[in-house]
Amino acid sequence: MNWGGFQSLSHLWLLSLLAPLVLFYFLKLKRPRAEIPSLVLWRQVLQDQRVNSPFQKFKRNLLLLLQILLLLFLIFAALQPFWRGGPGKNRRLPVLVDCSASMGALDKSGGVSRLAEAKRRVREMIDGLTAGDQLCLISFDNTPHKLTGFTNNKGLLRDALEQIEIADVPSDLEQALRLVQALGRSEPFDEVLLFSDGNFPPRVNFDLSFKLNYQRLAPAGVNLGVTAFNAQRAVAGGWDVFAQIEGSADAEGNVSMELFQDGNSIANERVTIARGHAQRLEFQVKGEQATSLRVQLTPEGFDSLASDNTAYLDLPESRPLRVFVPRTLVTYRLALQGIQDIQLFPQTTSDDASGSFDLVISDRPQDMNLVARTKLSVGFVPEELQRFVELGTNGSSVVDWRRDAPLLQHVQLADMVVLDEPRFVQNAGEGDLENLNYEVLIHGRGGPLMVRKQDADGVRFALLFHTDRSTLPYRVGFPIFVENVVQAAMQQAGLAEALANKTGVLPPLTLAPNGKYQIQTPSQTVEAITADERGIVSGVAAPRAGYYSILENGAQRRRVGAGLLSPTETSLNSVDQIQFNEQLQVAAATIAVKTDWPLWPALLMAGLCVMLFEWWFFQKKPGGWK
Amino acid sequence: MQPLAPKPQMTTLLSNSALDRLRRLRICPAGKRTSRSRGEHLSGKGGTSTEFCDYRDYVSGDDTRFVDWNIFARLNRPYLKQFHKEEERNVVLLIDASASMKSGGKLELAKSLAAAFGIMGLLNNERVSAYASHQATDAPDRLPPCRGRMNLRKLFQFIEGVEGRGDAPLDRAIESLLRHHSGRGVCVIVSDFLTFGDLKRSFNILYAAGLEPFGIQILSPQEIEPDITTDLRLVDSETEDTLDISSSADLFALYQEYRQGLENDLTLLCQRRQGRFMSVSSTTPVETILFDQLRRKGWIE
Repeated sequence: MNWGGFQSLSHLWLLSLLAPLVLFYFLKLKRPRAEIPSLVLWRQVLQDQRVNSPFQKFKRNLLLLLQILLLLFLIFAALQPFWRGGPGKNRRLPVLVDCSASMGALDKSGGVSRLAEAKRRVREMIDGLTAGDQLCLISFDNTPHKLTGFTNNKGLLRDALEQIEIADVPSDLEQALRLVQALGRSEPFDEVLLFSDGNFPPRVNFDLSFKLNYQRLAPAGVNLGVTAFNAQRAVAGGWDVFAQIEGSADAEGNVSMELFQDGNSIANERVTIARGHAQRLEFQVKGEQATSLRVQLTPEGFDSLASDNTAYLDLPESRPLRVFVPRTLVTYRLALQGIQDIQLFPQTTSDDASGSFDLVISDRPQDMNLVARTKLSVGFVPEELQRFVELGTNGSSVVDWRRDAPLLQHVQLADMVVLDEPRFVQNAGEGDLENLNYEVLIHGRGGPLMVRKQDADGVRFALLFHTDRSTLPYRVGFPIFVENVVQAAMQQAGLAEALANKTGVLPPLTLAPNGKYQIQTPSQTVEAITADERGIVSGVAAPRAGYYSILENGAQRRRVGAGLLSPTETSLNSVDQIQFNEQLQVAAATIAVKTDWPLWPALLMAGLCVMLFEWWFFQKKPGGWK
Repeated sequence: MQPLAPKPQMTTLLSNSALDRLRRLRICPAGKRTSRSRGEHLSGKGGTSTEFCDYRDYVSGDDTRFVDWNIFARLNRPYLKQFHKEEERNVVLLIDASASMKSGGKLELAKSLAAAFGIMGLLNNERVSAYASHQATDAPDRLPPCRGRMNLRKLFQFIEGVEGRGDAPLDRAIESLLRHHSGRGVCVIVSDFLTFGDLKRSFNILYAAGLEPFGIQILSPQEIEPDITTDLRLVDSETEDTLDISSSADLFALYQEYRQGLENDLTLLCQRRQGRFMSVSSTTPVETILFDQLRRKGWIE
């Protein structure tokens, strides 16, 4: 077994300092002279066998021996000895540090966060890092961040460790492990160390190819937080606002919840949360104009996680849904006329189709260029799908459809007759569509009959057959289908319901085209952002809960709030065992990871003790050694 | 009426009050060692003193002057009267005046004690002689034997003139003393007894010469309780030899052990030769030694 060793054996030359030490000791030993009447007694004393015993000789030269001991301690400290705690030398060890929202939970009032505890343990590892060992620090929340390469540079590792901060987002262990796996292709290793509170799904879709040392941190204290915050359009034109309060397994007690509208408190409720139960609160908010809501939860007892106590919700102004349907699609226009709060274009008195819409339903490809968050193309294959799907004339029929898709809910498509024949071209398949981010909603005999695509610009549905050449308009489900399309459009436009913004990525922001802005995060950092030609800014990272201010030339232009809103993170659940693919399970380690123990601090301390003893013995104790 | 002027100090060695008290004291040797010459000490043998001792039968040749004629008249038989013989006692004072005695007031005390013994000897009509040893190679300074109070000033002058110098070892000083001295009595040796020499031999010679050894060891406080706090190089005041020692409690304990051992050896050395021995500190007042310690130990009465 390898018990330990020295990191810096090159300092052995320091042992040569013993020679000058001994030399100087005897040269310097110029004793003061003291005249006494006679040396008779002293001669006899010094000739006594007891005085000349080895121990007495040792005591006589105690000063020299103490100095040699002190020098040896210093030299051995310079050699940087260490006590081997873990496996042998020359190992690479990636260290994954969870920095998701739940890691910010405190263990007690005024205590330390889980991340601080993880940092402490990793810092111990760094302190005990020997020359042959290399660490690679990786932090992960919903995305992994490689902080350092494999290195034994303690300064670099400590700096990187200090940079790890809590991100108020759920963790994604799978992504982190994939990064580590990719890392192992260039620099192989045997073991990966994971420091986490275990707040992630128990099953991870990952083929584990290395040993995972899962160091689960001690559980945090009780926690209550807001896990959902949304609003639905009320009949009277206002909004019904809902907030969900959940907590950790053993959380209970009274909380007060205050609702702010545009900064003004409009409601305050005090509720009692029972252990293991959630509480749902409802508020009525007037909402003709766009408004901003903030809900603030204040537990009366200790709450270990503060980031989940606030949620933000932006409500749009109340208006009818703007829908564009060409006059040729009579069936759709007829179906839409029966739905309230619809403004249909082109109107019967005008062919004006300018401006933006919330929903475009058209059988003309050029209409797909209209600005709308929701589009439904009818009877043609979108241009980007034409490489994989072609339109035949032999007719088709429905094989299956996604009954759970919101668009097809309560729509019966069985035995529907379709005269068009959308079919895959040779060597094309559903995978090609998925690569383009399309999802097949209705499967036909030779290919997809309906697809859906969701991106930052909105959602696009495409009926690859023309409904006028099918029996769909004659079916009872057709008005329901159109109603579903309208509901989807209202959701996209935010007119039917509004969901609170979650941390991670801010929702797309509509600003001035090509405008240059700065965004100030809750942690007061400022980043530059640029709107595209349509004035949309998307993909803005929101790692912390709080308000994000969009500044233009230093002046605030808009403010968007983002909250954690994650039941998983709020629950502070901790997974004992991680289930990987192929029935591979990794349980939380029961013993802390053993680190190499540097001995030089102890040696320096021993040297200091020797020095203090020497000082005390020769300066403060005239009587000598009793 | 004017107060009486204080009496002038007779000597610097002893106060006048101590001198007054010494006048009433005498030296008490353990044995009766006297010289054959006539003196004031009864020898235990028949002599011609005035003090009657015993009767014995007359034998032919006896001096008829000592026949008790009154008894002859009553008993018609001649008996001879016997008388005690009174012999003189020698008091030899040996002052160790080597350089080692200079420190800590040892020599001053030694001189005072020697003077006290000398006074007691002179006032009791004993034959007092004094010696002060300095150099090993030279003969000791000497006050020839004298008797009677008229020699007090001579004794004081001699003792007051003793200075500490030289490296005379005590054993050599005793042997040198015996080369000049004759007569039985006591020999008061005042010294620190810190010598490398063989005291046993010199004490045997001293005993053989008829002198009871009265050893008074005077040690300074520094010798009784050395106050050494650091590593030192000790220098012998007589020989200037050096010795390096380190501050150590064990060492001090051993020193005390050896000092006590030396005191015990010297006590035995004296006692086996019908003598006495005592160790005193140089800081002890001479009156305390004379009128307390020596009287209690029976050295003087």
